[in-house]
Amino acid sequence: MLIELLTKRYPGMRAWLMQRLTALLLAIYSVMALVRFLLLQPNGYEAWVDFFQPCWWRFASWLFWVSLSIHAWLGVRDVFKDYVPNAHVRSVLLKLLVVMLWLYWAWATWLLLV
Amino acid sequence: MKFSIYRFNPDVDKKPYMQNYDVELQEGDQMLLDALLRIKDLDDSLSLRKSCREGVCGSDSMNINGKNGLACITKLTDLKEPVVLRPMPGLPVIRDLVVDMTQFFENYNSVKPYLVNNDPPPETERLQSPADRAKLDGLYECILCGACTTSCPSFWWNPDKFVGPAGLMQAYRFMVDSRDQALDARLEDLEAPDRLYSCHNIMNCVEVCPKKLNPNAAIAKIKDLKFEQARAHKNNAKKQIAIKVV
Repeated sequence: MLIELLTKRYPGMRAWLMQRLTALLLAIYSVMALVRFLLLQPNGYEAWVDFFQPCWWRFASWLFWVSLSIHAWLGVRDVFKDYVPNAHVRSVLLKLLVVMLWLYWAWATWLLLV
Repeated sequence: MKFSIYRFNPDVDKKPYMQNYDVELQEGDQMLLDALLRIKDLDDSLSLRKSCREGVCGSDSMNINGKNGLACITKLTDLKEPVVLRPMPGLPVIRDLVVDMTQFFENYNSVKPYLVNNDPPPETERLQSPADRAKLDGLYECILCGACTTSCPSFWWNPDKFVGPAGLMQAYRFMVDSRDQALDARLEDLEAPDRLYSCHNIMNCVEVCPKKLNPNAAIAKIKDLKFEQARAHKNNAKKQIAIKVV
């Protein structure tokens, strides 16, 4: 159902829906991270390594990063669209943003899943 | 009372400037429009629109101390001096406080703000139940003053693409009208990414509406309807596929 709604037939709704879905995932992860932090209270490098040790948590963190990237892309794209009227400058900024988000994504993948 | 008013006459002035006025108010001058008419007695070159003087026609909408509103229903006692008056932002200035509202009305017209009903007209009128009529409350009262749309940053940046809060609220007003038959087409018309979804819930429209309406809520409801429409399309597509298979 959701995948079908995110098709090219609904370009406006697709972005709107994606922003809300990713926001929901970000909110869920943030609450989980806070609870885990309060329970485990990591202190020092080793404790933080342990904090990110469980496989499920690393996957959740990776999912968080993917959601954050999509959410940031949609939000910053809108900001550029509104506040950067020059099409060439906007195009360069959007490309830089894409490169930056992909690099962050690759870095997060390497840190969390590899 | 002290005023600082935006002045610009394109025939004479190279650029706009602010002109200060100190006006003696008379007994009975309660609203900003009263003071503006006193100023106009002193300086008849000042241009502004006005008509009904009671917040019904929406002609005298302007930016009052940084916030859009109607001069005729803004109490002088509520205003901090000097009262800074500017034309509504986001639209070309024709002269002084008068703006060119062509874009605003083009956007309004683009949502087909009228009933679309292909049934033959009945002998008397198209009736509504009280419950259906109640759905139009909070929507039909819009006077199209433009205060909401011209205080919306999304409209400032994309006036030719984003319909704006006033137009979208009227779109919703006809979507929920039980006598209208064009809901699907109305929703399809708003699918282009910038027409509806450029609304980022900044809420300036709600803040400034002189009729205390809530365009933002109407926009949110249109988004809900669009979601329902997409679900319905999906279900219909499945049904059609099932028929073909059978």
